[in-house]
Amino acid sequence: MSTNIPSSLQGLIVEEEILLSLSELCQACRAREELITAWVMEGVLEPEGARPQEWRFAGHSLRRARLALRLTRDLEVNTAGIAVALDLMDEIATLKAQLRRLSVHTKY
Amino acid sequence: MKFKDYYETLGLQRTATQDEVKQAYRKLARKYHPDVSKLEDAEAHFKEVGEAYEVLKDPEKRAAYDRMGQNWKAGQDFQPPPNWDEGFEFSGAGPWGPADSGVGEGMFGADPSDFFEALFGQHARQSRARRRATQTRGEDHHAKILIDLEDAYKGARRSISLRIPRVDEQGHVTTHERTLDVTIPKGIREGQHLRLTGQGEVGGKDGQPGDLYLEIGVKPHPLFRVDGADVYLDLPVAPWEAALGDTVNVPTPDGSVQLNIPAGSVAGRKLRLKGKGIPGKVPGKIAGDLYVVLNIALPPAHTEAAKEAYRAMAEGFNFNPRSSLEGVSS
Repeated sequence: MSTNIPSSLQGLIVEEEILLSLSELCQACRAREELITAWVMEGVLEPEGARPQEWRFAGHSLRRARLALRLTRDLEVNTAGIAVALDLMDEIATLKAQLRRLSVHTKY
Repeated sequence: MKFKDYYETLGLQRTATQDEVKQAYRKLARKYHPDVSKLEDAEAHFKEVGEAYEVLKDPEKRAAYDRMGQNWKAGQDFQPPPNWDEGFEFSGAGPWGPADSGVGEGMFGADPSDFFEALFGQHARQSRARRRATQTRGEDHHAKILIDLEDAYKGARRSISLRIPRVDEQGHVTTHERTLDVTIPKGIREGQHLRLTGQGEVGGKDGQPGDLYLEIGVKPHPLFRVDGADVYLDLPVAPWEAALGDTVNVPTPDGSVQLNIPAGSVAGRKLRLKGKGIPGKVPGKIAGDLYVVLNIALPPAHTEAAKEAYRAMAEGFNFNPRSSLEGVSS
């Protein structure tokens, strides 16, 4: 590979090493604060901290917020609908993972 | 450039009301949205539908498109007539325009069709240029990269190429290829994101650059399946290895290990190699496990000696493989 290039970019794993502030999450998703705030009120995102200035979002919120944004923008799903859709999508992902593990057991 | 019939895309008559446009879009968007659709070419379909809706939902754009479009058919070679939009004012920003609607980066990144760009591009360019002039911090960018499973085990340095949209002073969007030398940290998993500070869009005047988020995908491996931090391997064993037990060499993404197969193992038995899954990056984070699933391989009976061995087995065992079916009425 490119071992002759002296330095290589070091990143942080968002899901493990980073807590995002409200403004960082807005930047990363290009979403307005009001929209993110509405999702917090609906329980779509669950930051730590009492007030918006103190909110710290776990790294996995990034994927969740971006998915919520796409559904809001493209399908015109409202805030309550986003909460339901994301819960169902999480459940499907869990079931699919279980199915994968089970098919390993029953393959032979 | 081919003419696009946006009405046909949404399955509508030209006389459709704005409500009918919205209904048709919503129905097709739900069908083709890449986050919810299982159809193969969902993304391409969704893009077509989104572009059609972008024009038809906006009464100004729709009126201009209607006036120009009535003599054209989908697929015909097309150039927009000069001043085709004379007398129309477009106030909507467009799907590739500014994100001040508060809902994200625009529907399709920086990739409208040539047809849309020829008709409505100038307007979108103007809004983008206006936004550039006022913006200070560069925007965050997102990209997806594929790594090998071995990279997640050992860490790696990878040279990656990204197609980056760039907006110039006039608001034109061009894509250019950018090569980055990135350290893939040991322990990263499928679906996680790597944040590279300051590697997003260049900032405006005196502004900070944005960040670059890389979503990690792991390439399918011919031997191993990945589930979160756990990794699965199907291991073929001979019947006598399973029955009598043995020690065999097993490949892992981090080199081979010796595995003890307990006597009396049956097909499908899962043997766990603790901590041999994807390692943890952060100190103290627990590594995943490697599961070895036994698959009993039967030797072929191609030769007389092999057939004789099978016959000897048949004689040596008083074995009825279907004993569990007995007593069930047939």
